[in-house]
Amino acid sequence: MLLRPRLDDHLVIGKYTGKVIIGIALLMVIPLLTSVVFAEWDTVLDFAISIALCLIFGFGTQIACRTERDLSWSHGLVVASGSWIVATILGAMPHWLSGHEGSYLDAMFDVMSGYTTTGLYLLQDLDHISYGMNMWRHLLTYAGGQGIVVIALTFLFKGTAGAYKVYVGEGKDERLLPNVVQTARAIWLVSLTWLVIGTVAMSITGLLLGQEPVRAFLHGLWVYMGAWSTGGFAPQSYNTLYYHALSYEIVAIVVMIAGSFNFALHWAVWTGKRKEILRNVETVSFAITLSLTVLIATFALAKAGVYPDAMTLFRKAFYQLASGHTTTGFSTIYSRAFVTQWGPVGLIATTVAMAIGASACSTAGGIKGMRIGIIFKAFMQDIRRVISPERAVVSSKFHHIKDVYLDDGLVRTTMTITIAYLAMYGLNAIVGAFYGYDFLQAAFEGVSAASNTGLSCGVTSPTMPDVMKVLYIGSMWLGRLEFMSVFALGGYIVTILRGHK
Amino acid sequence: MSARTARSLMATLLFGLLLAASGCAAAGTPEPSPNDASSTDLVESPKKFDGGDVSFRGEAIGEAMVRGDMAWIHINDDAYYMKNVEEGAELGGYNTGMAVWVPAELAEDIEYFGDYKHEGDIVEVEGIYNAACAEHGGDTDIHATALDVIEVGHDVVDPVRPDKVVWAVTLGLVAFALYLFDHYWRRGSEPRRR
Repeated sequence: MLLRPRLDDHLVIGKYTGKVIIGIALLMVIPLLTSVVFAEWDTVLDFAISIALCLIFGFGTQIACRTERDLSWSHGLVVASGSWIVATILGAMPHWLSGHEGSYLDAMFDVMSGYTTTGLYLLQDLDHISYGMNMWRHLLTYAGGQGIVVIALTFLFKGTAGAYKVYVGEGKDERLLPNVVQTARAIWLVSLTWLVIGTVAMSITGLLLGQEPVRAFLHGLWVYMGAWSTGGFAPQSYNTLYYHALSYEIVAIVVMIAGSFNFALHWAVWTGKRKEILRNVETVSFAITLSLTVLIATFALAKAGVYPDAMTLFRKAFYQLASGHTTTGFSTIYSRAFVTQWGPVGLIATTVAMAIGASACSTAGGIKGMRIGIIFKAFMQDIRRVISPERAVVSSKFHHIKDVYLDDGLVRTTMTITIAYLAMYGLNAIVGAFYGYDFLQAAFEGVSAASNTGLSCGVTSPTMPDVMKVLYIGSMWLGRLEFMSVFALGGYIVTILRGHK
Repeated sequence: MSARTARSLMATLLFGLLLAASGCAAAGTPEPSPNDASSTDLVESPKKFDGGDVSFRGEAIGEAMVRGDMAWIHINDDAYYMKNVEEGAELGGYNTGMAVWVPAELAEDIEYFGDYKHEGDIVEVEGIYNAACAEHGGDTDIHATALDVIEVGHDVVDPVRPDKVVWAVTLGLVAFALYLFDHYWRRGSEPRRR
């Protein structure tokens, strides 16, 4: 029997959602200050209005939802998924006020794409937007990569036991340290260290490539944020093709691969366990599937004679595939070149790479290397069972920080999430085809949205049907939060409507 | 409230939100590309144009990245090459353009590069189009041998809209009042310490 939530349930959900939105308001101070520095007064006002709206919502809910009750598991999941929706609606305000969006739906699309580190966008005339707005776009993706709840946990939650439940609801379940707030801070420690190193490396590279110091720094910071968060936003419409340099591509590849690794792996390396990189099931799985997809794309491109020599071919294929597999979405080719130059096999290889994605508990999306590794191990275990004597006990294990034995429960959960991803990829492809797009292109774009990658072959555009925009927003949200907390939110709404008192 | 009423209300709210969100799309006639072979044509038909001479006109955006005697510039022939959104241009889709590899001394002729505060010079380059340039790691580019500045760009005025000032001040005051109310109410409800 479904029980209708009590007033106290609504209050605790409202209270913590409000705290996350206050976190979004604080985040908006950074682009506001950026615009102040560069005297972009119209943008300053856009952010002032947006901050005020977030604070009104945040403080309003603190006043209206006064309760001392702590979060339960279901509350945590609902807060995590619900706050992403509210944060998207309110976070879209600066985009919309800028005048560069065709509609508020387009603005929400871009913000959800940012939070979920997807990188698809509908913003128009990107090459003429303010520094403040560009800072906001990249900050969205950087904060979304860490998890907007992680930000609130770090700065606004006072270490309640329930905090862990919101943290898990945001698609992160690794507890690096005993306390969840300490874990959130450890994630920030790793990320901020990489932020300094990555930004310095990219800024120096930009300077050497002929950029002015201020632009080299800002582009370095933003491209770093896009790479580390596996977001794929870039400050110019040409994406990373703008820089025309192998050195820039190498730094970007290093940062995006690092960003796609599990935070638990980062923490293991941070605490001296360097061999973990070579043994971890996710890095092994990633290395194998990346090599395979690069090989397929390289073979197809060589056959088609698209690129003039082997080195050029490998450079282009590896960059786009690494970007796709880490679910970053950076590209050094035009979007339409996936169709007009790469052809069907190149499109399929990139689609497969995006669908698999990178590591769990990282900034990346997709099915994840861990699940691919577990499914492969379970498959091999079943084969061994078939060919072994009837009484033999066949066990299998994989390595992720420690050795973990496969059991049926783990395999079932893994398969459930994997099937959910595949169903969402399929739905996006079918809806795209229904609206008249070529099926392969619709599949490419649908997988890109649902795996939070952001590579585009031209389907995503401001003129795309609204139904597809809404579908992609939902896919990005579901893909980033890995379904469960969104299902919990759906269940919460059902219990409000159909539950018994 | 009955379950049916709640359902109807929620459905109306969701429909209204969707309508409001999608209902304000801009309409208008965006500026067409000034080129016989636009950047879109060059990308859509790489084999047709690869290795051929092209003449390409558009707005110089971003910056010139000088590399020795040569420089990279980017020229957009999109809906905003004459006037950008900040100046009130109709929304006309994404930016589109071409990367151009040009002698650095020619790039120096460009006075304004397009960004938030500037509408860039309109320039025309003559050169060879490469769908996958052997010299530049397979990039799609134009190797230009000539560059003419057709129209010098200008600063873009960034006026402060009075209605936005009113909204910012009003909403800011409301937010501050709510903060004070929340802060003092919470302090008032805490047990007193000796």
